[in-house]
Amino acid sequence: MNDQLSDHLSPETVAALTDGELTGDDLSRVSQHLATCAACTTRALHESLLQRSAARAGQRYAAPESLEGRMLRAIALQQDAQASAKESSQPASVAPPRRAAWGRSSVWAGALAAALLVSTSAFVAHDLALRSANSSALVAETVDEHIAAMAAATPQVISTDRHTVKPWFQGKLPFSFDLPAALPPGVTLDGANLVQLDGAPTAQLLFSIGKHHASVFLRQRSAAWSASEATITSAERNGFHVEGFRTAELNVLAVSDADPSHLHDLALALQQAQPAE
Amino acid sequence: MPLLPALYNTARWLTREPTEAEDLVQETIVKALAGFAAFEPGTNFKAWIFRILRNTYLTSRTGLAARRTVALEDEIEATGTPAAAMDLATPEVEMLRLSDRAALQHAMEQLSPPMLEVVLLCDVEEMKYREIAQVLEVPIGTVMSRIARARAALRQHLTRPALTSARLRVQEGGAPR
Repeated sequence: MNDQLSDHLSPETVAALTDGELTGDDLSRVSQHLATCAACTTRALHESLLQRSAARAGQRYAAPESLEGRMLRAIALQQDAQASAKESSQPASVAPPRRAAWGRSSVWAGALAAALLVSTSAFVAHDLALRSANSSALVAETVDEHIAAMAAATPQVISTDRHTVKPWFQGKLPFSFDLPAALPPGVTLDGANLVQLDGAPTAQLLFSIGKHHASVFLRQRSAAWSASEATITSAERNGFHVEGFRTAELNVLAVSDADPSHLHDLALALQQAQPAE
Repeated sequence: MPLLPALYNTARWLTREPTEAEDLVQETIVKALAGFAAFEPGTNFKAWIFRILRNTYLTSRTGLAARRTVALEDEIEATGTPAAAMDLATPEVEMLRLSDRAALQHAMEQLSPPMLEVVLLCDVEEMKYREIAQVLEVPIGTVMSRIARARAALRQHLTRPALTSARLRVQEGGAPR
């Protein structure tokens, strides 16, 4: 830092001190100098004041209210482009502005949206990476549980009656949930299982959507679960579609190889059956 | 702070125009989505997306105009104008004007883009030097010297706002207007 060329701290050293970038021997040396040099101490104080004043003055432009919606639409357009690209197996293009080909799953789009709008910058990198990893693991575990249920001979409770299935869980789960009075056309309730998902007790509701099977996993909403599931709005894995939503009390994941729109209708019916947030 | 307001604030400072700032943020996000393959989980997400913002800005209309300034900036760094040579401000005047938010914002507006961006990243976004180095794709030593020189320039614009701004822009690496 060239401090040895003069009796005083270099501007770079004063800046680094102000910005908390000095450690170890550098910090000790600078501290010793400040203890005996009023001029450099004054400079450091001024630098600190300038830094804090610039930080305040720099927070000048509030994003227009419309910007958040515009960005979410841009992200949604990319998701649509991804879906179109999958269907046509041709590169997608969306305008405007210039678009590049979609590179990753829609899980990432949700994670990016969360980071842009919700997460705090200080921990966003670690948090985002963690969420992505957790989300992927959760999607994998959800699909595995669904496949295991299809492979099993019979569910733990077999009933097409919501008044039988719901009470079966009483005392088995630390939360309750409601089933819709009417399911979407072509959807029937087959039964339910009590499973462990991500180490927590989970209600697995089994449905048929036409000739396809679907599982809906309901868990108590918690901080840990929310952090990972918050990023899952929809995902694909091994030919299965996964859709997630949250209510005031629950985190819910629905999985099926049926048409995603039919799974969405089922998820929506379940979501609307729960008490409002 | 959520990233979207931070990206917009930085974009607005750099472009100085609201519509262009919104377009810049949108293009940044679209590029981030498309280029996620290049993001390594566990690395710094904020630095990564700000680097996309900055690179997108540099290829924008306003950014291209500023590129000449960046080139000048690099020349000055290479020839080594020491920050100490610019550290001429009168502390009393500086102290008085620091409490004047508008005066400080005006002083920031006088900074050349390379100086302004380090002030935004370091002071406003509170990034570490290592993160700023990632955004600007320069060595940490360059970040250190640029921050010191940006603060010195800011101090001078603050204490001698009108008469010397054009000369200072040349001195700090900016093109005179």
